[in-house]
Amino acid sequence: MAETIQTPKSTTPRVHEVRELTSTTYVLRFDRNGMEFAPGQYVSVGLKGDINMREYSIYSPVEADYLEILVREVDEGYVSRLLRGLRPGDELEVDGPFGFFLIDEKARGRRFLFIATGTGISPFHCLTGSYPDLDYELVHGVRTGEERYEHAWYDRSRVTSCLSRDPDEVARADGAPEHAKVVAGRVTEYLRDHPVDPDTLCYLCGNCDMIYEAFDILKSHGVAPEQLYAEVYF
Amino acid sequence: MRYHLVPLGCQMNQSDSERIRAVLESLGYRRTDVEEEADLLGVVACSVRQKAIDKVYTRIHKWNAWKKERAIVTFVSGCILPADREKFVDRFDLIFTINELPQVPEMMQQFGLVTAASLRAADQAAGRAEAAEYIDAPAVPSPPGAAPTTSPGDRPPSAAAAANGGIVSIPIIPNESRADAKKGYWKIAPNYTSGFEAFVPIQNGCDKFCTFCAVPYTRGREVSRPSDEILAEVRRLVDDGYRSITLLGQNVNSYGLDRQSEREATEIDFPELLRRIGEIGRETGRRFWTYFTSPHPRDMTDAVIDVIAEYPVLARQIHLPIQSGDDKVLIRMNRNYRVSEYRRIVEKIRATIPEASLFTDIIVGFTGETDEQFAGTREAMREFAYNMAYVAMYSPRPGAASARWDDDVTHETKRARLHALSEELQKISLRYNQALIGTELPLLVETTDRKDGYLSGKTEGKLIVRFASTDHELIGRFVTVRIDHVTPLSMEGTLVGVEPDTIDESAQLTERAHGAYRRALAAMLETEVETATAGGHAGQRRV
Repeated sequence: MAETIQTPKSTTPRVHEVRELTSTTYVLRFDRNGMEFAPGQYVSVGLKGDINMREYSIYSPVEADYLEILVREVDEGYVSRLLRGLRPGDELEVDGPFGFFLIDEKARGRRFLFIATGTGISPFHCLTGSYPDLDYELVHGVRTGEERYEHAWYDRSRVTSCLSRDPDEVARADGAPEHAKVVAGRVTEYLRDHPVDPDTLCYLCGNCDMIYEAFDILKSHGVAPEQLYAEVYF
Repeated sequence: MRYHLVPLGCQMNQSDSERIRAVLESLGYRRTDVEEEADLLGVVACSVRQKAIDKVYTRIHKWNAWKKERAIVTFVSGCILPADREKFVDRFDLIFTINELPQVPEMMQQFGLVTAASLRAADQAAGRAEAAEYIDAPAVPSPPGAAPTTSPGDRPPSAAAAANGGIVSIPIIPNESRADAKKGYWKIAPNYTSGFEAFVPIQNGCDKFCTFCAVPYTRGREVSRPSDEILAEVRRLVDDGYRSITLLGQNVNSYGLDRQSEREATEIDFPELLRRIGEIGRETGRRFWTYFTSPHPRDMTDAVIDVIAEYPVLARQIHLPIQSGDDKVLIRMNRNYRVSEYRRIVEKIRATIPEASLFTDIIVGFTGETDEQFAGTREAMREFAYNMAYVAMYSPRPGAASARWDDDVTHETKRARLHALSEELQKISLRYNQALIGTELPLLVETTDRKDGYLSGKTEGKLIVRFASTDHELIGRFVTVRIDHVTPLSMEGTLVGVEPDTIDESAQLTERAHGAYRRALAAMLETEVETATAGGHAGQRRV
């Protein structure tokens, strides 16, 4: 099971920008400081000198000379609230990279299904940007249209957004050529109705309830547990 | 000046305590087990369970109350979560991470704690920036039957030096880079508490981020100790006659993964570290058993198992924490393996070193664990046929990721699940132990038994055996015991004789015992297959 991964290190990069995506979600960009990572990994981030740190998947592609993370401000969250208040030039504490949500080099020619809820799309932003030739389908579950978080980044023909609480946006986007596919309902409902080729490698990222449900649905479609990779957000 | 130290939690904390004691004693403090007598009171904290951290709060509350009566100083180290650290700052006089241990004499001076010994140590520290390293031999209790060895450059134990008014310094292990401050505390040679069993830290911290665990937030990142320093410590222990050496780390078999760039040039990985310890056995010819704990299944490569098979000093005992036998629970725990992948490792162990015993750790009642998911764990317990399982009822720990989830399995259910697994374990281990009745097994005698007139020890596979004897000289020695009676988790036998201390002379006895363990495993698995065929749990895979 072991594979070669990058050696984690600690750095104190400076903030480039805080890019607001919604009232609760933003992208934090900062110096890379030479940190090597494999697409799909995460870093631990906090304010410089503050012992409280949280883990975030790397959002930016591996070629970028900066690092980005996608952050949702959590109610009563400590780190996510402080990070949002940062200004360009402020210093951070960043440890990493960590994690095993990786695509093996030998598997890159295969068919992939990426399933995300909310900010769980972050590692897929990195993976699709880092491996432009991937044959993938991305199914992203969110409540409203605004939570599709920079969907223009992805190949439109490969993305399906499942909107659970935004019927107006579903109606507006229906058939509109500038939009990726948008459907009403939850990600798991979509998966249930759209059987997957059992040979597909399935990557799941988001809340645990979704992952559990999707895990069972995909198994019922004949996908072996060893082909299911999961990253739980909490 | 006396100190009292309270180590809580795991073997790593015990090992860290040995180094803390070495520092305090080098400063002239004497150990006392009576806390009321101590001038300096410390605790090595554990954050794995709330109960352990509650003990820290209880102690410091009591100690601070004593301050009204007399002058005492308190300190805390060990595994401390950020939230607790903030509270401890107000309650304890000194707080330091184990990585900061080399700076403790300076911290104590800054706090106003000055002893003649600490002043000399400070003078030396000031003068040694450009000077040669101080190299003190660790303060080693005399192991029974061991001829002490002295190598050129060794100094007497620091505590003895302090008592004689001679040179005092923090005892330092030689041959090690001073470049990385995080590795500084490993320089400190510990005051081993046992004369025959030693714990050697090789790695600290964790990068795995299991959701039930707070260690990544209390111990920080995985840092591997330089291999030349580990090998020097092991060699010294072997020369001093130690017979049980346990390599310690939060992810012990991730050793070296944090130093991959260095590894290409000078550093080694975990299988190679084991190989070099195996070679110490070959070189010295001395008989000892090397263990390691706790490993992560993800890094349990074939190379680790293969190298154990090659060397007699690498003990046939594998601790392989599964935590759950259900894939979805493993996902929620962020364990990064599937049951099928775990199974493949066990198959490799059974095929390569079938004489090895197998231990595990399991958590029952983790957030959201259903009856069906628990049934998977129960099935795993049967399938993997453990000799020992450390089963814990889940309790959320503030700071761990899972603390943000509901602890939604009732205490009664957790207790019932723990009980069910204990029953399974006892059935399985009893079959194994029964197959050993009548065999003669090597044992490392550890202590007196609770039963009057008996001593107790462990086999190479860490199975507990007691035998009738009042000869305390046998403690710390290898003996042969013939097994007469067994229970699920222990055995009783008759002393046959004392075994040789060299690999060559004990080779036949070892091979005979390995044969017995292999037959016991086969008997245990055979019984399991018969049970399954009879309708017990047909269809499960055998390993």
